[in-house]
Amino acid sequence: MTLPLVQINNLSLRYGDFVALDDVSIDFMPGTCVVICGPSGSGKSSLLRCVNRLENFDKGDVIFDGQSLKAAQNISKIRSNIGMVFQHFELYPHLSVMNNITLAPRYVNGVNRDEAEAKAHKLLERVGILDQAKKYPNELSGGQQQRAAIARALALEPKLMLFDEPTSALDPEMISEVLQVMRDLARNGMTMLVVTHEMGFARDVADEVVFMDKGKVIERNESGGFFDNPQSDRAKEFIDRVLQKI
Amino acid sequence: MDFSVINDNIEFLMLGLMRSFQLAFFTIILSLIIACFIAIGRVSSRRSIRYPSAIFVNLLRSNPLILIVFWFFFLVPLITGKTLPEFHTVLIAFVVFFAAYFAEIVRSGIQSVGSSQVKAALSTGLTYSQSMRLIVLPQALRNMLPALVTECVIVFQGTTIAYVIGMREFLHSTSLVAERTVRPVELYLFAAFVYLVICFAGTRLALFLEKK
Repeated sequence: MTLPLVQINNLSLRYGDFVALDDVSIDFMPGTCVVICGPSGSGKSSLLRCVNRLENFDKGDVIFDGQSLKAAQNISKIRSNIGMVFQHFELYPHLSVMNNITLAPRYVNGVNRDEAEAKAHKLLERVGILDQAKKYPNELSGGQQQRAAIARALALEPKLMLFDEPTSALDPEMISEVLQVMRDLARNGMTMLVVTHEMGFARDVADEVVFMDKGKVIERNESGGFFDNPQSDRAKEFIDRVLQKI
Repeated sequence: MDFSVINDNIEFLMLGLMRSFQLAFFTIILSLIIACFIAIGRVSSRRSIRYPSAIFVNLLRSNPLILIVFWFFFLVPLITGKTLPEFHTVLIAFVVFFAAYFAEIVRSGIQSVGSSQVKAALSTGLTYSQSMRLIVLPQALRNMLPALVTECVIVFQGTTIAYVIGMREFLHSTSLVAERTVRPVELYLFAAFVYLVICFAGTRLALFLEKK
């Protein structure tokens, strides 16, 4: 029997009076691509940030690959196994694309520069921006920046990838190039948690869809079932609204 | 007006100017290093680090430089029973004093970078101190460069304070020559000119960096 890669147990998180996560329990199996969706303020990004403890949760725990994050002393080591992609890319503006990617392998894993660059080379090729390696982030288009950010997250060969609205800050014509990279990742068996409003991606690529509202997981379903036959009224409403937009 | 007096004493005056430069140089280097630590302390989430850093900064910034110099010149020997050479005494006082000012510049520089860059760095497995050193500080430094250069000009002007405990910095040397030759007008005009050139160059540099 395979064990879940991520186990979230009774997780709660507040910002002052606002309840971001309300007693959430959910598991994610290795090798699956799960899309987390829901209206804004539903807690989906907060949930994602708890999975690598960028957000310090109040109650409950996250077990990643058998390790409790709450008790973890070596949180940096655990985080190096979890890649994260942000809405606004968050590439380091003072470093070239190449150095953006090689930084963590060199400083976290102690890989030497040549080896790290060889690896980065392959990653840049994989995301299709090898020709941009020497440039600085502000010289790249949004889509290229996000692909570089994905390469950076992959550089440590993570077991899990977190995507926090990876296409929300992109111009429409650049969304597909980023989604394509994510699709390839999912096909190659990467475990992925993706917070996104891209319902096309959710339907075609994701294995499962998790629907959240007001800090709770309302519904979890395989992606086909979620769209064709949503169980809860709130999910129905959400799907109608999102699909109407298109 | 007879400016030959300057030429006659140029070696002595330049020695004083070198002393001023040395004091400014070591003050800037050392206080900037300390300032980085204090600034990181100021933005720390831990109160036990944040409060002492804030107290240090506010205490030093609420006192005149001359008083800090007096402190180290009169009181520290009294407490420790040891006397240090003038240069060292002044240097320590300057470093402590300007560290507080530099710390505030570095702090605003750090805050200009934004927490999402830290989050990104942490997410790749870098530790907090690595994130600060490799990601935040280099960007912060770039953002705060104009303010830093301006503060360096202030440090250079501040070196004249060393006069009060008898260190032969540039202004002191000038006044010694002025007394000896009874040519105060020429000498203080010369001193003003030298300070003007150096500080104006510094200010222009800060402006240039700001526009860049």
